[in-house]
Amino acid sequence: MKPLDPRLLRYARSARGYLALTVALGLATAACAVAQALLIGHALGPVIADGASRAAVAPLVGWLAVVIAVRTAVVAVQERYAHRAATRAVAELRHQVVLAASRPGRHAAAARGPEVVTLATRGLDSLEPYFVRYLPQLVLAATVTPAALLVVLGLDWISAALVAGTIPLVPLFMWLVGVMTQGRSQRGLATMERLGAQVLDLVAGLPTLRAFGRELGPATRVRALGDAHRRATMGTLRIAFLSGMVLELLTTLCVALVAVGVGLRLVYGDVGLVVGLAVLVLAPEVFAPLRQVGLHFHASTDGVAAAEAAFAVLDEPAPVPGTRPAPSLADATLRLEGVSVRTPHGDFPHRLDLPLRPGRVLALAGPSGGGKSTAVEVALGLLAPDEGRVLLTSESPDVSLREDAPRSDDGAPGPVDLADVDLPSLWSQVAWLPQRPVLEPGTLAEAAGAADVTAAERDAAAARTGLDAVLAALPEGWDTPLGRGGVGLSVGQRQRVALTRVLLRPAPLVVLDEPTAHLDTAAEEVVLSTVRALREAGSTVLLVTHRPAVLAVADEVVTVAGHPAVGHDEPDSSDAVALGSVGTASGGAS
Amino acid sequence: MSELRRAVRLLDVDPRRFAVAVALGVGALGSAVALSAVAAWLIARASQMPPVLELSVATVAVRAFGVGRGVLRYLERIASHEVALRGMTALRTTLYSRLAAGRPEAALRVRRGDLLARVGADVDAVGDVVVRGLLPAAVAGVLAVFTSVAMALFLPTAGLVLFACLVLASVVAPLLAARAARATELRAAHARADMTATALGLLDDAGPLAVAGRADAELAALRDADRRIAAAVDAGAGPSALATAAGTLAQGLAVLGALALGIPAVRSGAMTPVELAVIVLTPLAAFEAASALPAAAVQVERSRAAAGRILALLDDAGDDASSTTTTPARPSPSDTPSPVLRAQALDCGWTGRPLAVAGLDLEVRPGRSVAIVGASGAGKTTALLTLAGLLDPRAGHVTVDRNDVASLSRTARVSAVVVTTEDAHVFGTTVLENLRVARGDLDADEARAVLARVGLGAWLEALPDGLDTLLASDGRTVSGGERRRLLLARGLVGPARILLLDEPAEHLDPRLADELVTGLLTDPRGLDGTPRGVVVATHRLAPLAAADEVIVLREGRVAARGTHADLLADPGYREALERELATERAR
Repeated sequence: MKPLDPRLLRYARSARGYLALTVALGLATAACAVAQALLIGHALGPVIADGASRAAVAPLVGWLAVVIAVRTAVVAVQERYAHRAATRAVAELRHQVVLAASRPGRHAAAARGPEVVTLATRGLDSLEPYFVRYLPQLVLAATVTPAALLVVLGLDWISAALVAGTIPLVPLFMWLVGVMTQGRSQRGLATMERLGAQVLDLVAGLPTLRAFGRELGPATRVRALGDAHRRATMGTLRIAFLSGMVLELLTTLCVALVAVGVGLRLVYGDVGLVVGLAVLVLAPEVFAPLRQVGLHFHASTDGVAAAEAAFAVLDEPAPVPGTRPAPSLADATLRLEGVSVRTPHGDFPHRLDLPLRPGRVLALAGPSGGGKSTAVEVALGLLAPDEGRVLLTSESPDVSLREDAPRSDDGAPGPVDLADVDLPSLWSQVAWLPQRPVLEPGTLAEAAGAADVTAAERDAAAARTGLDAVLAALPEGWDTPLGRGGVGLSVGQRQRVALTRVLLRPAPLVVLDEPTAHLDTAAEEVVLSTVRALREAGSTVLLVTHRPAVLAVADEVVTVAGHPAVGHDEPDSSDAVALGSVGTASGGAS
Repeated sequence: MSELRRAVRLLDVDPRRFAVAVALGVGALGSAVALSAVAAWLIARASQMPPVLELSVATVAVRAFGVGRGVLRYLERIASHEVALRGMTALRTTLYSRLAAGRPEAALRVRRGDLLARVGADVDAVGDVVVRGLLPAAVAGVLAVFTSVAMALFLPTAGLVLFACLVLASVVAPLLAARAARATELRAAHARADMTATALGLLDDAGPLAVAGRADAELAALRDADRRIAAAVDAGAGPSALATAAGTLAQGLAVLGALALGIPAVRSGAMTPVELAVIVLTPLAAFEAASALPAAAVQVERSRAAAGRILALLDDAGDDASSTTTTPARPSPSDTPSPVLRAQALDCGWTGRPLAVAGLDLEVRPGRSVAIVGASGAGKTTALLTLAGLLDPRAGHVTVDRNDVASLSRTARVSAVVVTTEDAHVFGTTVLENLRVARGDLDADEARAVLARVGLGAWLEALPDGLDTLLASDGRTVSGGERRRLLLARGLVGPARILLLDEPAEHLDPRLADELVTGLLTDPRGLDGTPRGVVVATHRLAPLAAADEVIVLREGRVAARGTHADLLADPGYREALERELATERAR
C-alpha cells in the first residue's frame, strides 16, 4: 500500500495544488522549527552563562516573535486549505465515479452495485481525514524530520547519531509487536465482533420478542453480552495499544537520553550551552511528525482503501462511444439479432431475435427473470450484448439521398450497428417508461410535460392515463410540487404522470415496462388506452407485459426466455422450445 | 448540551475509575512536561560545570520521565477505554430494557437499520465522549493548573502568563473548533442530503436518465450539491484555522512571555539563570494536552447528535412500565379456552402518518380462518400489528372476549393472540432456540414435528447439526422461503390460540405456497391438537377457497368481503385471480 498514490493526483486535480501548498508549508515549518530552536538557544545561552541584559538579546527575541508569527500563520493556512482541498478532491472523485458507474455499456446491476453506491455517497468521505490530517504529517515527516536531524548533526554529532539510530527502531519495534501479537489480536477481534453482533441481534429481534411476550428476559443477557464484549475488547486493546506505547517509549526515551548525554558532556565542556539548548529543543521536533503519522495511520488506511475502490471503478475501460447519427426511427427498423447477455446464472435473454418495425406494437412476454428488461436495455444501447448484435435499418428510400445517411462499406445505404451509433441521437427519439419512472423535479405539470399545452389537451391526456383521479386528490392539482424523483407520489401514480408525458409528447419509439400492480384492474385499461392512442399517433411501441388483454392488442408477441447455466436450478425451461423465437400475433391488427 | 449530559448520565460512569484514568493521563502528559523542565534545568546547570554527582538525581529523573510517559499513557488508554466500554454496556442495557418495557410502537416504527445504528454506532459515539472528550478536557485542566503553579513558584508573573496562554489554547481554541464544526454541519446537512439523493438517483436510474437526456442535468445537480458542501466547509474552515492557529500562537506567546519576563528577573536576582531555562523551555512541552482539545470539542459536537437520537428513541418508548419478568407457559385449559378476537370499526395506522386501513370489522375464534388480501402497501401488516395489540388503534376497538386487548396482561395477551410479521427476526442462534422464542419449554420432538408440518422436514434433514445448527442473524443463511416457514413454525408452536400470519408463503413457488396456505386455512391447529383461529395476510388469491372469510383491502378500505366463492362475482377479484393463474401458466 502506497502512502500517496499518484493516481490520486491524476483523478483529483484539487489535490495537486494542495499537495504543492502542503510541501511548501512543510518546508516553511521545517525552517521555523530550526530557527526557533537556534534562536531560543542563542537568546538563553548568554543570559544564563554571562547574565546578558534583555536589550542585548532583544533582536533574537524579536526574530523569535517573527518565527512564531510565521509558524502560526503556516498552521492556519494549512488548516484553512486542507478542508477545502479535501472537500473538492472528494467531490471530483465522486463525480467521476458516478459518471463512470452510470455510463451506458455497464450492466445495470453492476452500476447499481451497493459498494459503488456506498463508495459514492459515504465511502469517499474517509479521504477527508486522509487529506486533512495524515498527508500534512507525512509531508512534515519528509521535511521537518530530516531538516531538524541535519541541524542536530551540525551542532552535535553524538546526539544526531542517537536520534538517527532510534528512528529505524520505531518501525522495527512496531513491526515486532505486531507480529508477536497478531494471532492473539485477530482471535480477540473475532470474539469482539461476535459478541457485538449478538447484542445487536437481540435488539433487532426486539419487536419479535415483544410479539411473543418474551422481551424482558433478554435484558440480563444484553448486559452479560456487553460485559463479555468489554472483556474481549479490552483484551484486544491491551495488545493493540502496545505498538503505540513502543512508539512513545522509544521517542521520549531517546529525547531523555539526548538530554542526559548533552548535560554530562556540558559538565566537561565538550559542547557549549547554546548548542545544548538548541539540541534539546530540536530533538522532540525530529520525532513529532513521526508520532503524528503513527497516530493518524488509521485515517490513512481508510482513505487509501476508499481511493483504491474509486480507482477500480475509474480504471475500467470505457466503451468507445459511437459517432454515426441514428436514422429516423419513424421509418427505420431496430432489430435484435441473436442477442444473449451473460449473467452468473446463465444467459438472460438467450439468442433473442426482436424486430421492431416502425409504427408497430410489439409485446415482450415471458417469465419474470427471463431477461425482458435486459432486452429493452440492449435495444436502447444501454447494455452491449455478449453475443449477437443490434441493427438499425432505414427503410425509407429518400434517406439514402442524404449526405449523412448511413451506408454500408460499399457506399450503399444499409444497416447500422447500434454499437457505432451516437446514442443520444437515438435516445432523443425514444420515450421510455421503466417500471419505476423517474420524474423531472418541478411541478406535476412540468413532470407530465403539460406545462406548455392547452388545458383541453392536457385534461384529455390525463383522462386517458387515469392521472385525472390522482389530480382530483391533490389540492394544488397540476401545480403540485414534486420532489426529486417524484417524491410524494406512489409508484403507480408516478407511472400515470409518466404515461401522460408520453401521450403529450409522443416519441417515434415508446417503450412501456408495465408495473405489476395486483388487484388493480384500472391499470390495465390505462395501458390499453395509452397504447391505442400511441398507435394512432404513429409511434412504434415496445411493451413489456404479462397481461393477456394487453398482449392481445400487440401486432407481434415475442417470448423472452433465458438459458440457465448448467447445474443451476433456475425455473425449468424444457417446455420453452421456442426460446426467444418470434411468436405470431395473437389477435392484433396485423 | 443538556441532551448530551442526559445521555452521558445514562452511561453511569464510575467516578473512581474515571478519576484513576484522569490521574494516569495527568501522569503521562505530566511526565512529558516534567521531562522538558528537568532536562532544561540539567543542561543549564551542567553548563555551570558543577560536580557530576549533583546532576545524578536530574539524570535519573529525566530517564524515568522518559519511560513514564509511554507507560502511563498506555495505562491511561486502557483505563479510559474500560470506563467507556462499561458505560456503553450500561447504556445499551438501559436502551434495551426501556424499549422492551415501553410502548411497543417505539421499537416497531424505527426501521431495523436505524434501530441497529442507534444501539450500535450512536451508543459508541456517546461512549466516545468519555475517551475523547471528557477525559482529555479533565487532564488538560489539571495539568494546566499544575504547570502554571509550578512555573509561578519560580516567577509568579511567568506562571500567570503561561496560565493565560493555556486558557487561550484549551478554552478559546476548542470553542472556535466546535463553532466551526457546527457551522459546517448546519450548512452542509441539506447539501449532503441532496448530494446523496442525486448520486443514488444517478446510479439507480442511470439508463432512464440517459435515455431521457437528463443525465447531464443530474450530474450538474450533483456538482452543484458538492459545490454547496464545499461552500459550507469553507464557512467552517475559517474558525477551524483560527482554532489551530490559536493553539500554536498560545505556545509561542508563552515562550516569548517567559523570555521577556525572565531575563530582567535574572538580572534583578529574583530568579537564578538556571530557573530561566526551566521557565522558557517548559512551555514547549506544556501545550500537548491542550492541543488535543479542539478535536475533543468536535467529538462532543458529533456525540451530541447521537445522544439526541438515542434520547428521542427513549422518550418515544416512554418511561419504565411494569418490569415483571414473565414467560408464557403452555396454554393451559384454565385460560379462556376459546378466545374471540374482535375488531370493530378499527382504524389502523402509525402515529404521525396517514391511516393505513380504515373501518375494519373482523371476528375470529379458534376454528375459524380469515384471509386479508391486498396489494403490497395496502395496510395488511399494519392491520395485523393493531389486531395483535402492538399498535394502538387510531379509532375503534380490538377486544379479546370483550376485554380491550391493550388492557390485557402480557401473559394473557400472548396466550390469546400472536402476530408473525414478514420481517420477524431470525436470531443468530440454533434452529431449536429460534423456535423456543415462542415457547421456552419446546422439546426436540415437538420442534421436528412442527418443522415437518410447514414443509421444512427435508430441509432439517439436510442441516449439518439438525436442530442444533446455528443460523445467521436475520436468517441470512437460509433462503427467503425457508425463513418464512421457520417463522410460521415459530408461530404455530406458541401458546396463542389466535395466530396472525403475514405472508407466510412468500418466496415459495406458487404450488407449494398455495398448499401451505390452504393447509393453514383449513386446519389451523396447534401442535397439541388444540384448535386455533388464523388471520392470514396474503396477496395470492388461489388458495383462499379454504378460508371462512376473505377481506379485500384496497386503498386503505375494505373493498369487498365474503367467501372466495362469493367474491368471484366481483369482477376485480375474478380478474386478479385469472391474471394470477395466467402468470403462472406463462412460467
